Amino acid sequence: MNETQFKRMKDLPTTHLLGTGAPMCAGCGGLQAINDIYDVLGEKTVFINAAGCMTLLSIYPFTPFRGSWLYTAMASAPAGAQGVRDALDILLAKKKITPDENLTTVVLAGDGSTSGMGLSATSAAIDRNLDFIYICYDNEGYGNTGQQYSSATPHAARTSTSTGSAGFSGFKKDLFAIWAAHKPTYVATVIGAEPLDLARKIETAASLTGPRFIISLSPCPTGWGFDPQETTYIGKLAVKTGIWPLKEYKDGKVSHTKNPHVRVPVEDYLLTQARFKHLFEPKRNDKLIDEIQSKVDAYWAGITP
Amino acid sequence: MKTASRILGSAFFNEGYEVQDAPRYGAERRGAPIFAFVRADNKAIDERGVITHPDLVIVADDSLVTVPAAGVMQGLDEHAVLLINSHVSAETWQQRLNTKAQVLVLPIKDAMQNRAELPYVSAACVGAAARLLGMISQNALVRAIDEELSHLAADKINTNRTRAIEAFELMTTHENCIQQRPSVSALDYQQPEWVELPFEDARISAPTIHASLTSVEVKTGLWRTMRPVIEYDRCNHCWWICSSTCPHNVISVEDNSPVIDYDHCVGCLVCVAQCPPHAIKAISEAEAKQSAVEQAGETT
Repeated sequence: MNETQFKRMKDLPTTHLLGTGAPMCAGCGGLQAINDIYDVLGEKTVFINAAGCMTLLSIYPFTPFRGSWLYTAMASAPAGAQGVRDALDILLAKKKITPDENLTTVVLAGDGSTSGMGLSATSAAIDRNLDFIYICYDNEGYGNTGQQYSSATPHAARTSTSTGSAGFSGFKKDLFAIWAAHKPTYVATVIGAEPLDLARKIETAASLTGPRFIISLSPCPTGWGFDPQETTYIGKLAVKTGIWPLKEYKDGKVSHTKNPHVRVPVEDYLLTQARFKHLFEPKRNDKLIDEIQSKVDAYWAGITP
Repeated sequence: MKTASRILGSAFFNEGYEVQDAPRYGAERRGAPIFAFVRADNKAIDERGVITHPDLVIVADDSLVTVPAAGVMQGLDEHAVLLINSHVSAETWQQRLNTKAQVLVLPIKDAMQNRAELPYVSAACVGAAARLLGMISQNALVRAIDEELSHLAADKINTNRTRAIEAFELMTTHENCIQQRPSVSALDYQQPEWVELPFEDARISAPTIHASLTSVEVKTGLWRTMRPVIEYDRCNHCWWICSSTCPHNVISVEDNSPVIDYDHCVGCLVCVAQCPPHAIKAISEAEAKQSAVEQAGETT
C-alpha cells in the first residue's frame, strides 16, 4: 500500500470544507460521508449532482460548496461530468486556465440514480475512460421522496412501496461488482462511521486518474426509521456484522480493508431500524432473519483475510 | 402534520360536514416546514387550492414562527385565531407578533422534552382545533383518530387519543372562538399578488450562484429541539471522533478542542452518542434558553 498521510485518526483533517447550513435531515449518514470526502478531495473540485437528496445541498441562492456545482437529471450525471471534463480539458489545451486551476470532476448521486437509471450512462463513461470520481451515497431507497424501494434496497426491508409482512422481495444490487467488472481504475466502499478508512480510500482515488468509484452506505434516520443520534452506531454495526464489507478494487484485485474477525449477528443491526421491525414483531420471522444471516456468512466464507 | 389534517378532516366528516384536506410539502426530510390545509362547510365546497385567508392557523412548532419560508402569519386578519404550541405565553406571542388575530397557546407538555413524544404533537393540535371550532364532539374526534391511525399499534393509537383529549379539554374556555366565514364565490376571486417575471436571457434568469459557502446564512440551528453541550472538564480532546463524524460539519477544532457552532447544529446528537468519555450531554432547547436567560439576569 502506498504511504498514506492518514495513519491514525489524529491525522484526519481538522478544517472542514463543506459549508454549514445545508438542509439535510438531522443525522444524515450521506452528508456525514460527503463532508469527510470533500475534506480530502479539497477545494479544487467540481460536483455534478444527479437529482436526489443531495440536490438539496444547493438551493438557490445558497450553496455549501467552495466551488462549482452542476445539477443534472437522475440518469445523466456521468454525461454531465463528461461535458465538464471536456470543457476543462479544452480550456487547459487552449491555455485559458493553468494546470493549477484544473478541477477534479466528481459525480454525486444516490443509489436510486446510480443502480437504476444512471447505470447505463456510468457504464458508457467507463468505456470512454472518463477521468472522474463517482460518489454514490447509498441509503438503500428513494429517500428524498419518502423511501420507495430502489434496486439497492436490501432484502426484507420495509419501504413505502414494499409494505407487506416480508418487506422488499428483491435483493440489493451488487454495485461494487458491477462497477469492478468494467475494470475501471478504482472502486471502493466506504462509510461515514469509519472516517479513517474513508479518508485513505479517497486519498487513493484522488491520486489516480481515469474512472474511479466510491460507494458509501448512508444510514438514513428518516428512511430507515431510527433516532438521528444512532447514525454512527448503525454505520459501525453495518461493518461489524459484515453486512457492509469495506473493500477496494485496484489493479484488477479486490481487497478488504476491514475484516471483522468475529462478526456480530445481523440481528443486532436489523433490530436498530424500524424498516426491519416486522421481522421481530408481532412474531419473530426466523426464516427471513436466517436467510439474511446466511447470505452474509456465504459472502465472507469466500473471503480470505 | 399531514396526518393531523387527515384526522381533523375525518372528524369534520364524521360530524356531517363536507371536507377538503391536503398537505403541501417540498422535500421529504426531517426539519422541513410542512403545511396542511383543512376546509369544511355544511354545503358543497367549490373553492380549491391553498387557503389564503385561514380562520385558524395551528403552529405545531413555535420555532417556525421566525422562519420566513414557513409563512405562518400569512393571511391572518382580525377574524383569525393563531394557536401556537409553545412554552411562551399567549400574551408574549401577541406582543411579539403584533397581530390583529387572536393568539392562543397550547402549552408544551413536559413529556415532550423526550424526542419519542414529538409525533404526538399532531394529535394534541387536532384535539385543540376540534374544541376551538366547537363543531366537533369528542366522540367524532376519537373516531377520526381510530380511523386514520388504524395502521398503528394499539398503544400508539391510545397515546394519540389521550393527547388529543387532553388538548380538547384544555381548550374548553375558548370553545367556539372561531367564526365561520361566508362562502366564497368564484366572482369574488381576487388574483394573488403575482410577481411578474419578464423573459430574460438565460445568463440572467438561470438560478446561478456566483459566491461560495452562502449556505452559512441559513441558520439550521433553529431546527434543534435538543442541544449537545460539551463539558470541557471531561473532554479527552479526541476531536477526530466528534468533529469527523458530525454529519452537519458544525464541530470545528480550536486549540485541540471541539467547538460546536450552535447557529447551524441541527441537534441530531450523533456526537452525544459517540463521545468516548461521555463529555457531551444533551439538554432540551427550552432548558438551554431558560438557563441563558437566568445567566443574563445574574450578570446584570
